[in-house]
Amino acid sequence: MALTTFGAIMGFAAEISGKAEEIYRVLTQKANDAALREVLRGLSEEEGKNHDLMLKARRENVTEMILEPVTGLHQEDYEIDPKAADAADDTGLLRAAMMLEERGKRFFKDASSKVPLPEVSRIFRKAAQKKEANLAKLQGLGLSQTLGSSG
Amino acid sequence: MKQLKNYINGEWVDSGAKEYGDIWCPATGEKIGEVPFSTAADIDKAVQAAKEAYWEWRCTPPLTRARYFFKLKNLFEDAFEDISRTLVTEEGKTLDESRGEVRRMIENVEHATGVTTMMTGYNLEDIAHGIDCTAERQPIGVFGVIAPFNFPAMVPWWFLPYAVVCGNTYIVKPSEQVPMTQTRIFEAIDECGFPEGVINMVHGARDAVNGLLYHPDIKGISFVGQSATARYVYKACGETGKRVQSLGGAKNFVFVMPDAELDRSMPSLITSFYGCAGERCLSGSVLVPVGNVYRDLKEKFVAAARALKVGNGLQEGIQMGPLVSKKHKEKVLGYIEKGIKEGAKLILDGRNIKVDGYPDGFYIGPTIFDEVDPNMSIAKEEIFGPVVSIVRTGNLEESLKLLENSEYGNATCLYTTNGKTAREFKYRAVASMMGINLGIAAPMSFFPFGGSKGSFFGDIKGHGREVFQFFTDTKVVIQRWT
Repeated sequence: MALTTFGAIMGFAAEISGKAEEIYRVLTQKANDAALREVLRGLSEEEGKNHDLMLKARRENVTEMILEPVTGLHQEDYEIDPKAADAADDTGLLRAAMMLEERGKRFFKDASSKVPLPEVSRIFRKAAQKKEANLAKLQGLGLSQTLGSSG
Repeated sequence: MKQLKNYINGEWVDSGAKEYGDIWCPATGEKIGEVPFSTAADIDKAVQAAKEAYWEWRCTPPLTRARYFFKLKNLFEDAFEDISRTLVTEEGKTLDESRGEVRRMIENVEHATGVTTMMTGYNLEDIAHGIDCTAERQPIGVFGVIAPFNFPAMVPWWFLPYAVVCGNTYIVKPSEQVPMTQTRIFEAIDECGFPEGVINMVHGARDAVNGLLYHPDIKGISFVGQSATARYVYKACGETGKRVQSLGGAKNFVFVMPDAELDRSMPSLITSFYGCAGERCLSGSVLVPVGNVYRDLKEKFVAAARALKVGNGLQEGIQMGPLVSKKHKEKVLGYIEKGIKEGAKLILDGRNIKVDGYPDGFYIGPTIFDEVDPNMSIAKEEIFGPVVSIVRTGNLEESLKLLENSEYGNATCLYTTNGKTAREFKYRAVASMMGINLGIAAPMSFFPFGGSKGSFFGDIKGHGREVFQFFTDTKVVIQRWT
């Protein structure tokens, strides 16, 4: 489905953050490695905050004067696969986390150029930067050496 | 079925109405509530409560009065989504449009809290030898607003926060077509804990309006609606010695110069004509390609209009909702018929649009007439729907003439990349709200909102700096102590 309005983009941003929060919560419970568990717990909390931030940004920045149609953004390109929560071992958990962060990074990066509001664009850019940092953190856990690239 | 109550003297009370109106969900065509058509006696109860509350409120320090609005702002933020969804449900606009409206409502609350700066007077020593003069702004008494259907959350708040923060007391009469939004807003007011009687709400229609207009204890009225009613309100307030700001209808022309960046302008042009399904006094109504931009503009505009997603505004992603009522839909359909009869060429027909799942909703799709003569009804009269008339002109001079000949003077827009053209247009065009490379010229809370000619009756417009003058009397004190 095309994300053609400001509200649709912000709603989707909140939705994927909320879904990711939930998935990370499940993954945290499954993790055996203590360091991985801590990272996953942190990501879950971050996604929860992100969810609230997106709703706040939608509420505070909606500008009635320039509610113009948006083109070129499709939610199916960024959907989160709920099966990510099915991962069983630590390597699988890590792979799922990297996939989530990669998707999120791509969405926030793409969406930042579609919203004509600098405040919201900045929030998206910062979210994408955080995801970039999270990916580096996940890769640094060592477990990922066997993973290769994720998409 | 939910029956709404009035809010008088800090309490939810039943109206003495014998007659009730129906409230509809325009997206589904279902009845969702009933609104009392309150009587002049109901209005009188609210006026007595407001009058009773006035003196104590007037003596409350302005900063203390502002603190109520700081608290109210936070309550509005908490209720933001709920108010927005209520608005979509009864008015039909999209969620984004509703959220945008509620945001603008809150911005008026924010602007009003600057009362300690905005309400100050001025003074000068020695206006004559040993004599000093001060001009002090004082509140006046009970004010009221009669609100329209198209912005049920925002419009009363173009006036209310300024009136009340200046020390006046207030009565809101929401549109009987969309009374639930303001009712939800008053739940936040109730929670905020204003002193009883400071802010009141009475639902109703004609009797309530006349009850306000002719009540001797009401000092001023703010009105927004159709021009015929705006004129009536202005006249009635003149007869009864009230202050008045009466905002009427519009017929807005949007000019596109040959040098305009069409691709970049298209989203904004579409928002101008089809935002809020054309039910706004700032909507573009007549699209004017100037010179040789006609063919290219028409092609791109029709394609973009055709691509709009029309549906139930509660669904995220819908770009245009239904019209507010079956009656209004019929009125707009009547204009489309009139356009055809008068000889305009219907190049996009929204009359038979089908919206999946909502066969009874009050929908009209994007509609475009080409080859419209400026003397046709569809080029002159306010349609208030998603109907665009294309009227061609050869140059800027002819374009300005179109504006001069219009009965209305609310808003106009120009698309150009030429600064000289923009300056010329800004300088000469007869309309009070103007967009340059922008399709909705909506002044924010800190600038005045209102038109000219048949679009506005009065002198001080909605919000902005000047509205503090509307709600205060300037008392001049001349003193000699030497």
